[in-house]
Amino acid sequence: MGADERSHAYATALFEVARAEGNLEQVEAELYQVARAIESSDELRSKLTDQALPVELRQGIVEDLLEGRTQPVTKALVSFVVGAGRARDLPTIIDRLVRRAAEERDQVVAEVRSAIPLDDDQRQRLQEALSKRTGQNVSIKVTVDPSILGGIVANIGDNVIDGSVRRRLEQLRESL
Amino acid sequence: MRARVLMAGLALAVAGLVVAAAPAPAQESHGGASRTGAAPEGGGQKEISHESEECIHKLEAGGEPDDCQEAPSPIVPAADELIWGTLSFFALLFVMWKFAYPGIKKGMEARTQRIRDNLDEAEKTKAEAETILSDYQRQLADAKSESARIIEEARQTAEQMRRDLMARAEAEVNDLRQRTRQEIEAAQQRAVADLRAQVSELAIGAAEVVVQKNLDRESNKVLVDRFIEQVGASA
Repeated sequence: MGADERSHAYATALFEVARAEGNLEQVEAELYQVARAIESSDELRSKLTDQALPVELRQGIVEDLLEGRTQPVTKALVSFVVGAGRARDLPTIIDRLVRRAAEERDQVVAEVRSAIPLDDDQRQRLQEALSKRTGQNVSIKVTVDPSILGGIVANIGDNVIDGSVRRRLEQLRESL
Repeated sequence: MRARVLMAGLALAVAGLVVAAAPAPAQESHGGASRTGAAPEGGGQKEISHESEECIHKLEAGGEPDDCQEAPSPIVPAADELIWGTLSFFALLFVMWKFAYPGIKKGMEARTQRIRDNLDEAEKTKAEAETILSDYQRQLADAKSESARIIEEARQTAEQMRRDLMARAEAEVNDLRQRTRQEIEAAQQRAVADLRAQVSELAIGAAEVVVQKNLDRESNKVLVDRFIEQVGASA
């Protein structure tokens, strides 16, 4: 079994468990935030993928981080993947799970990066705008990314809509 | 063979001369002895010749001893010498004619033939020498013309090489000059581009710092709302 097939199998298993628990959307959103946190933190990623550390210690790190901040099932799923020694594949597994959940709802996933947290009204308007723009029912997954300085970057599949200040500065640099 | 015949003829001639010359003095000495020896040995005047008696009379008459004898002729030899000399001459002539002359004639003919052959050989050698000389002269002339042609070709080749080298050197100099000019221009353009990039980086860095300091939450919220409106409007 290749790494891609293995990630797909883990994603399917996690999806089925989350759906069985009955709170798929919230677990999906929490897992998405965990994946982005692992991607953005080199220290966290190196700790969770360090084979020299005992599995119990790595799972303890996950439980300490997520205790009281996520649903118990979210914490259990992440701990399971880390315990299986697949922490390095965790962002890929979670992304597959998110897409699988969106497909179940007949939606496409829009990965949105914003310099500031979006309130519910902004999320709602953004989801409607992106759905209108793409002609599809869009499910947005928002992460806070101060590196874009301001504005929003939305990735829908291979389509990128970049309205960030960082992008404006890059355009200005290219024009100079 | 011819030399031996000549030697034999010469020996016969010498022998003939010796034989022909010997009897006269012997006869003369014999006669003389009879005339001079008769007086002392005889002791008397019983055989005094007529000439002696005439001489005695002349001396007694007061004459000189030279009046008693007649001096021999310095030109005409005595008769016996003339006879023996003639006989010896003809005998020698016969012997020479019979034995020496054929060998001498043969030797002369051989010598004549040899000289003729040598002359012919010399003529032939001369002709060959003239032929060789003419060949040499022709070859020398050919060699001179060939050397002149080679020298001319070498001169032309050297001239062509000189022109080629000059043209190549000139082309290389032009190429080098062109490349140098292009490199200078490229270096200038790179320097300008680097300077422009550095200025851009500085400007963008400064703008980023300014944006980070001045872009507060409210301004960010405005940017988000504007993005949402633009996305919705562009559908």
